[in-house]
Amino acid sequence: MSEVSIFSMIMNLLSDIVLLIGLTFVFLGMLGLIRLPDVYNRLHTTAKIGTVGAFGVMLSILMRAGFTPIGVKAIAVGLFLLLTAPIAAHMITRAAHRHGVGLCKESVIDEYGKACERCKK
Amino acid sequence: MKRYIPLAAIFGVIWCFVHGTFSLNSFIFGLLLGLLTIRPFRFLYRPETNFRLFSPSNRIISIIRYFMVLIKEIIKANIVVAKIVTRPKININPGIIAVPIRCKTDLGITGIANTITLTPGTITVDISDDHSVLYVHCIDASDPAAVCASIRDDLEKYVLEAFE
Amino acid sequence: MISLLDFSLIFMVLAFIPCIYRVIMGPTIPDRVVALDAMTTVIIVMLGAYSYDKGSAFFMDVALVLAVISFVGTVTISKYLDEGVVL
Repeated sequence: MSEVSIFSMIMNLLSDIVLLIGLTFVFLGMLGLIRLPDVYNRLHTTAKIGTVGAFGVMLSILMRAGFTPIGVKAIAVGLFLLLTAPIAAHMITRAAHRHGVGLCKESVIDEYGKACERCKK
Repeated sequence: MKRYIPLAAIFGVIWCFVHGTFSLNSFIFGLLLGLLTIRPFRFLYRPETNFRLFSPSNRIISIIRYFMVLIKEIIKANIVVAKIVTRPKININPGIIAVPIRCKTDLGITGIANTITLTPGTITVDISDDHSVLYVHCIDASDPAAVCASIRDDLEKYVLEAFE
Repeated sequence: MISLLDFSLIFMVLAFIPCIYRVIMGPTIPDRVVALDAMTTVIIVMLGAYSYDKGSAFFMDVALVLAVISFVGTVTISKYLDEGVVL
């Protein structure tokens, strides 16, 4: 067996593993969407696990396709998701807090609400 | 017009990614498109807040170290939150805590805020008016002092080295 | 024998169900926005897998545009909720 085919075999195996890890992370993120109590905790799962899972899937496509147009576009999509997810999460949390969505009843501390009330006075 | 050439070069690289081929033709086409795009929006680029991302100092090493720490923290974050989701009974005590930060420049504050969002169990909510305190939603806020200490020692050191 | 593409598509359809539940039943508006954002991520993953399997780069363009529009839509809705105006 030549070296090229061994290399491509290892690359295919690695990309299968990364694809399965990514799919599992996306599934767990969406599961957290249904299990966690309030909007802030749900954002923890979708903004982190979902995005990184999608990035893993795109990375596995890059590993399989190489630097063809499909692979390069896939990694562009993945990097864009990774770059914009924190900004979207930050804007939704701020809008939710100012819109009046309270924290769930398990919460122990809310220093941002206190600071907002202090500003209004 | 000469100031916008580096920005247009960034547009060219982005166009190469979106088009899917790394060639000189697509880079130059993207550069021309970038110049055409920058022209109507040039009031957004204020020269006094020009970020020096590629300053010719020995900052490259600290930027590389920052990205290594970031990748490690992202992997740790995924495992932590995945454990919380798959636990049969969800037992969390979340809360919003105030974290004082040392970064002063806009780029540093943006970096620390996005890093906090991508690391285990914390999301940035807002910044105070005098840019000295970040409000962070934490999925396990039973010990606020420990969260503050971990952010200050593990993350902010590398951000300060890399971006300020 | 089930192929990897079939497996990933079935898995992603399973991941789609909680998003739809949260969009319909979500108690507040931010819940629905978060669920729609997550739904877009799932659709992007589906499009990526399908595009690689069919060997066509056009589905990847669709995924890129969907990612951009999802980000802009999320920012617009949260700005509307926050300040009451969009621009």
